[in-house]
Amino acid sequence: MISEDHVTLKTGVMMLKIQDLLLSDDEEDTKRVVRSAKDKRFEELTNLIKTIRNAMKIRDMAKCLEEFEQLCRAFLKSKTIMDKEGVPQFYIRLLADLEDYLNQLWEDKEGKKKMNKNNAKALSTLRQKIRKYNKDFETEIASYKEVQSCSPDAFTSSSGSDDDDDEGITAKSLLKKKPQEEEKKAPEASKFLKGAADEESESEDDEESEDWGSDSVDSGSESEDNEGAAASLAVVFLKKYDSRRKKHKKKERLEEEADEEAEAEEGGWEKVKGGAPMVKEKPKMFAKGTEINSAVVVKKLTEILQARGKKGTDRAAQIELLHALAGISNENNLGEGILIKIKFNIIASLYDYNPNLAAFMKPDMWKKCLECIDELMDILFANSNIFIGENIAEDSENLAISDQPFRVRGCILTLVERMDEEFTKIMQNTDPHSQEYVDNLKDEGRVCGIIDRLLQYLETKGSTEEVCRVYLRRIMHTYYKFDYKAHRRSLGLQGETKSEQDQEESEGEDSAVIMDRLCKFIYAKDRTDRIRTCAILCHIYHHALHSRWFQARDLMLMSHLQDNIQHADPPVQILYNRTMVQLGICAFRQGMIKDAHNALLDIQSSGRAKELLGQGLLMRNMQERNAEQEKIEKRRQVPFHMHINLELLECVYLVSAMLLEIPYMAAHEFDARRRMISKQFHHQLRVGERQPLLGPPESMREHVVAASKAMKMGDWRTCHSFIINEKMNSKVWDLFPETQCVREMLVRKIQEESLRTYLFTYSSVYDSISMETLSEMFELDLPTVHSIISKMIINEELMASLDQPTQTVVMHRTEPTSLQNMALQLAEKLGGLVENNERVFDLKQGVYGGYFNRDQKGGYQQKQSYQRGKHHSHQRDPHRSRSCSPVLLTCVGWMQLL
Amino acid sequence: MCFGPFPLHQTMASRKESAASGSSPLETPVKQIQIDGLVVLKIIKHYQEEGQGSEVVQGVLLGLVVEDSLEITNCFPFPQHTEDDVDFDEVQYQMEMMRSLRHVNIDHLHVGWYQSTHYGSFVSRALLDSQFSYQHAIEESVVLIYDPIKTAQGSLCLKAYRLTPKLMEICKEKDFSPEGLKKACIGFEIMFEEVPIVIKNSHLINVLLLDLQEKSTVADKHELLNLSSSNHLEKSLQLLMDRVDDMNQDIGKYNTYCRNLSKQQQQKQQYLQRRQQENTQRQSRGEPPLPEEDISKMFKPPQAPPRMDTLLIAGQVTCQSVIFMGRSLF
Repeated sequence: MISEDHVTLKTGVMMLKIQDLLLSDDEEDTKRVVRSAKDKRFEELTNLIKTIRNAMKIRDMAKCLEEFEQLCRAFLKSKTIMDKEGVPQFYIRLLADLEDYLNQLWEDKEGKKKMNKNNAKALSTLRQKIRKYNKDFETEIASYKEVQSCSPDAFTSSSGSDDDDDEGITAKSLLKKKPQEEEKKAPEASKFLKGAADEESESEDDEESEDWGSDSVDSGSESEDNEGAAASLAVVFLKKYDSRRKKHKKKERLEEEADEEAEAEEGGWEKVKGGAPMVKEKPKMFAKGTEINSAVVVKKLTEILQARGKKGTDRAAQIELLHALAGISNENNLGEGILIKIKFNIIASLYDYNPNLAAFMKPDMWKKCLECIDELMDILFANSNIFIGENIAEDSENLAISDQPFRVRGCILTLVERMDEEFTKIMQNTDPHSQEYVDNLKDEGRVCGIIDRLLQYLETKGSTEEVCRVYLRRIMHTYYKFDYKAHRRSLGLQGETKSEQDQEESEGEDSAVIMDRLCKFIYAKDRTDRIRTCAILCHIYHHALHSRWFQARDLMLMSHLQDNIQHADPPVQILYNRTMVQLGICAFRQGMIKDAHNALLDIQSSGRAKELLGQGLLMRNMQERNAEQEKIEKRRQVPFHMHINLELLECVYLVSAMLLEIPYMAAHEFDARRRMISKQFHHQLRVGERQPLLGPPESMREHVVAASKAMKMGDWRTCHSFIINEKMNSKVWDLFPETQCVREMLVRKIQEESLRTYLFTYSSVYDSISMETLSEMFELDLPTVHSIISKMIINEELMASLDQPTQTVVMHRTEPTSLQNMALQLAEKLGGLVENNERVFDLKQGVYGGYFNRDQKGGYQQKQSYQRGKHHSHQRDPHRSRSCSPVLLTCVGWMQLL
Repeated sequence: MCFGPFPLHQTMASRKESAASGSSPLETPVKQIQIDGLVVLKIIKHYQEEGQGSEVVQGVLLGLVVEDSLEITNCFPFPQHTEDDVDFDEVQYQMEMMRSLRHVNIDHLHVGWYQSTHYGSFVSRALLDSQFSYQHAIEESVVLIYDPIKTAQGSLCLKAYRLTPKLMEICKEKDFSPEGLKKACIGFEIMFEEVPIVIKNSHLINVLLLDLQEKSTVADKHELLNLSSSNHLEKSLQLLMDRVDDMNQDIGKYNTYCRNLSKQQQQKQQYLQRRQQENTQRQSRGEPPLPEEDISKMFKPPQAPPRMDTLLIAGQVTCQSVIFMGRSLF
């Protein structure tokens, strides 16, 4: 507030209460505040001081305390002025008086007893407070007291007359002079108000005159003008005001001459505003006959803008005013310079309309905003001799029509960026399942159009930095959209089915080409890391979306984003997560099951995919997140039309996990150190097992679990029917652009993995098996079966050999039985045990060895000969493993038996 | 696991009269146990009827000490009591049972208890505590362990165990710290002692059995060589593995303890050395030496893990592995 007041002080432009424009006729509260900040502050202080003094008189300590606190606050507020002007005398005086007074009260035991409890309490608090407070003003108070002791009567007189020593005017002087003023004005006022002279307006008038007081004091001669004034009082006041303003201006600015007339006009307009019945004339900003030129309009514009951001300013009205102004300037052909300037400001105030950052624009505002920007772009395109930029200083602007090109301050890029953000906000705040959302989404085209135009504009005029920014905007609007045209074209369906309109639509560039061009520009030119990161991620996303897996993967790996993404800000991280997910899904479509699984693992294993993708907040208790954080998180959400289908994501993940995990489980059935590939998949399996009653699968997860169970038995047909059926198609698979390809890939994968699982699980049952049978069983052609089995044999997963002439697989039967497996496990565990034991013994050597060194020597050694075979190859010092030797013996002995 | 039956001191009192006439139980420990066929059948029946799966059945043994052998002539089961009938008074039940048996002129002296086992997993803390309190109250008491699974395979498996005097002493002192056990020089092998069992039947029954033996076919003798027991083998192997895991854990714990202890010892040594150096310096400067501080307060020794559990597990592992070997042999 203070700084704003400074502005008022400097420029002397009066503050408008634009609000008034909307008020009806009979309401009259035109209180114009024309005071310097100092006056205002001082008045506030004096008023407070007055109440304090009154309270002192009636010994109302509670009131006193309250007011004092207010006073301190007010004083703090006006600190800057105080720093300049020095602490006003009257303030010091009050402090001193108050302290004396309080001390006096304090001494007066009798009086204190009589006080009520509230007052007594307030007294003690206040006394402490003022003592502390006065420490800061010690010197001033001391000097004041000195003066007081010299000429006591100067201060003992009433408050009215004692401020002559204040430099400048204090509000007190205003108070003193007020009565005179009023006396003077009274007759005129009544004259003026004869139409609607009710008490209310009268009191209002009083207030007004109070406000005006400081001026009259300031320029003493003004009062004479008063008498000489002709028609209405208001005019007089305004005139007076204006002239006073002029004075100020002379000091600070030197461009008056031309404005004089305008000022007068303005004055007239002000009068209109002040008077009640002016609402109808609202659009008429300038009095008739005024020559409207750019200077006038600019002045007007600044005037309107002064009110911006102030409390009580009607923002809607301000926007309308600006619109009107634009109209006027248009009518009068003031040139594009001014128009652009006004447009900039209209858009800015449209953005300002919502004071809250979280709130989003109303539809009509949004429409207006779009139109405005569109018009602005029109103008910019039409006139190539306009320079706009943030760095053009206010005073170096060139708005008037002249030979030189226009120079206007303002940044269209920022405006468009803000517009884009507003659009996102609108989308975030609309219910995604309503018609409204669809309607809003239709604006996306316009937004894109504007961005495109801006892009064209900046490509010719902007700096590289700006171009990068606008390119990123463009990319952000492109990367998540699947390019159906290009897709169709690549399928070669173009000519057949297309109507003319479609033809037209499909003219433009492929989004891939655009993405490539824009991104490469950014890679080359961008200097801020963030834009490049975003561009890379979007590029990868776009590649992945269009199944260009290798490009996407290479870009991801080359960018090394995975290493340092954790240092990025949350929106970029969300983008990264989205990209990874898209990459995974792309890999899945391409049949790279392992890659798909790896890409999706991180997102899925956390169980917070929704949150990580910025597609919704998880319900969490309030301790973890307060309202503030929630708001921030809400702002990060991705609009619904950009969402990645979570069920699809989970399904892709689970199916990939199934294809990897089931054969692995079958191969390592007895491995003690078997690790899970996917925890989440196991979790789902367990959930499935826990079900008391197993009906036909309903949800996607249940389908996958059921399919996994079928696959475990090597039953690929059932597995297939669980994974690919009507339900799953509608839920998941139809969401892919190349549904058919994906399904075919999936079937093939299921067949292959089922074959592997079957071989792992049942190889112990067979002595040999014909490959032809296998190929029939799994409906795979012979070479494929051959290659799968060969691979398994090479990887030592399957202990078998191929018999070429008969086309059979001969099993070697080296797999141990379950009992043997357990014995192996036990042996391993015992090995661990012995090791641990040795460790204890090492520690204990000499200190505590006696415990183990009992009479048993030899028992183990004697039987060492039993230790043979590969499972018991670990060499030990027999002395050390005494404590568990019986177990080992048992095991060894038993192994012999088998 | 709940170890229901417990020794009744009252029976001790009543025994004193009878003990006065016979040999003193304190002088000659029980060397042999003679079980009546009736008791064996009763125990088997008890398990058949009440124990399912891994559930354990328990009961009270009644009998007499005759010279150096303990004759178990009768027993009665102890009911499985569930959580919901809280008012069930075990002591009252035992008293009642014994009184009733006495009324019908059956041996009513409490000489131990029996318990079924699941794959030989009976060596536990609960068994130890329970048997300790028995042996503490009634010197000659034994615990009979009945293995139903092995019995079902065709060889009756009934074992009688007593705590060794050494273990009794340790249990009395309740000192299960590593030092205590070391001093007592106790290992898992000498915690329990098995007492040989003799099953005694009346002549009439022996006659009947002989009669039956002649009638029965010899064929089922080959059953013993059958490998169909692999199911049980796996099961006991599994349990054995679990125990080994436990043991491993315990050793790990003990290991950390030892390490902590030695680390602290080192610290203590260092501290003392520093102290000494400082003191000598001070002496050379003529200042008074630093006051002695309570070192044990500064270095609190880490809590030693109780070793008894480890011993028990070791015992269990041995026991199970023996049983396991037995299984695999038959």
